[in-house]
Amino acid sequence: MNWTLFFFFTTFLCLCLIVYLATRLCRVKEQLFFIKEGLEDIKKGNLNRRVLTRKNDMTKEICYSINEIAINDQAQVIRLRQSEQAYKRLMTSLSHDVKTPLTSLVGYLEAVQKKMVTGEEKDEYINVALDKAHYLKDFVESLFEWVKLDAKEQVFQFEICDLNELSRNILTDWIPMLEDKQFAYEIHIPEVEYNITIDSNAYRRILNNLFQNIFVHGEGNQISIRISENEEQATIIVWDNGKGISAKDLPHIFERLYQGDESRGSKGNGLGLSIVQELVSAHKGTITATSTPTTGTKFMISLPKTL
Amino acid sequence: MDNLMIETRQLTKVYGEQTAVNKVNMHVKKGRIYGLLGRNGAGKTTIMKMMLGLTSIHSGEAFVFGKNVKGNEKRIYPRIGAIIETPGFYPNLTGTENLEIFAKLRGTTKPNAVKEALEVVGLPYKDKKIFSKYSLGMKQRLGIANAILHDPELLILDEPTNGLDPIGIAEVRKFIKDLCVERGKTILISSHILSEIALLADDIGIIHDGVLLEENSLAELQKKNGKYILLQVSDTAKAALILERKFCVEEYSIQDDHTLRLYDTTLDMAEVNKTLMLENISVISSQLCNDTLEDYFKKVTGGEGIA
Repeated sequence: MNWTLFFFFTTFLCLCLIVYLATRLCRVKEQLFFIKEGLEDIKKGNLNRRVLTRKNDMTKEICYSINEIAINDQAQVIRLRQSEQAYKRLMTSLSHDVKTPLTSLVGYLEAVQKKMVTGEEKDEYINVALDKAHYLKDFVESLFEWVKLDAKEQVFQFEICDLNELSRNILTDWIPMLEDKQFAYEIHIPEVEYNITIDSNAYRRILNNLFQNIFVHGEGNQISIRISENEEQATIIVWDNGKGISAKDLPHIFERLYQGDESRGSKGNGLGLSIVQELVSAHKGTITATSTPTTGTKFMISLPKTL
Repeated sequence: MDNLMIETRQLTKVYGEQTAVNKVNMHVKKGRIYGLLGRNGAGKTTIMKMMLGLTSIHSGEAFVFGKNVKGNEKRIYPRIGAIIETPGFYPNLTGTENLEIFAKLRGTTKPNAVKEALEVVGLPYKDKKIFSKYSLGMKQRLGIANAILHDPELLILDEPTNGLDPIGIAEVRKFIKDLCVERGKTILISSHILSEIALLADDIGIIHDGVLLEENSLAELQKKNGKYILLQVSDTAKAALILERKFCVEEYSIQDDHTLRLYDTTLDMAEVNKTLMLENISVISSQLCNDTLEDYFKKVTGGEGIA
């Protein structure tokens, strides 16, 4: 009697085991089918393809590895494509944005050469032509700088230095210019030492470009810079009382070569703010702009204390 | 075609008497952001639902990854991430727990997928807050985290910025852009806000009353956009000189050897033409372009435009 019961019990157990193993086998088979399909797709060059797996699948580790390979290759392909695109954009830029000032420069020089103008007017033409040549030179320099940043080829030299001292140094160079242009200025920099990891040249460029931007596009007569710091980050606010930026243009101002409708043409080169943004993000910081048309624009930069 | 991620052929959906989607032929290209633009009730959501098999197709066909959606569901859907309307989460579980459930159901591509997805959208991992206590913005973010949890090749996002504040919208916009640019995803996004789509999309489809009125790249559309005077002359260098000297024009650009664009549309063109003629420059044509994208969409959608 006992023996029969035992016999039935073992058969039942064996059956359970067989069913369990069969389902596992089916799942593995199904998984292998999906892996094969995914791999074929990846082989064809679709590096976006992933193989999905669940936590208790036997094939889990294989799937994770396949995905990792695809993700890494994809990242590499994208990096290559990005630098390729950066150079393509450089070419477009050169052909588009250089054409206008260059053509008009030619116009002035031709007028002088063909003796269409004489005396004082001739001198003025030569001066205008020279200005345009300078503008072109600056533009090309900025453009190359931007391309280097955009292609992530710029090498930064981060070092620990006192942000307040550094800012004061940079601003000292600007004061004669501010007074010359009859700007009223306010500067608030804490009288303490604040050590931050920063590339001082890049930081100088950031402030210079912001000031330049205010001079070229702002049309205001007041400027203020305020630096505040805490344990984690430093915040730099640069404000001017110029004509402001319209809500329509505001989301685009950091885009390369975006210039508001009002400022297209000879003023500025559309690269300054874009370079600022690239530099700030190289410091893992953020930059935002808020503006009320006719009353002014405020740029706020946050830089983390350590990278 | 190989580089089409989504293609619909004469896709139609009829609800009773009403035709919600009428013979739509859409083409979403690989690695690009496609913006489906239309007013509320235009049929955007219905199109997306048909692609995802959430509602039946009345007539026509939808192809995803080059395969007909009908009959290939099991092979297609694991490769898509989607948000359609409000995502269904368990209200009494935390965000992390909700995602763990979806990870278990669908499978994942790497061991710490949930944590990474939450990081991308800026939600805390293993937070104690339950879903029903989430703000609308957080719910929306969790929805997006869920959509990218399994690292899909294609994202279908139905108004993903609904209910977000302006800063939230900018953040979501940025990471949608990053998903496309840095990770090579293809994204189909719908919106009724023109400016939003113009900032994000590479290609735009305009849908109105269930009909796809136009499908074009943003670059193409933007060519039709802008306020300027197109001036064709025999000698751009000389023309630029005269414009600068006699009309004080600063805002212009030179397109090619014969074409100038003047951004000041208030210029007296009769006077300009006369002066140029007197200086021996022949004016081939001068044309005022005065269309904004909004105007264009008004024209396309027949008057009322897009909010």
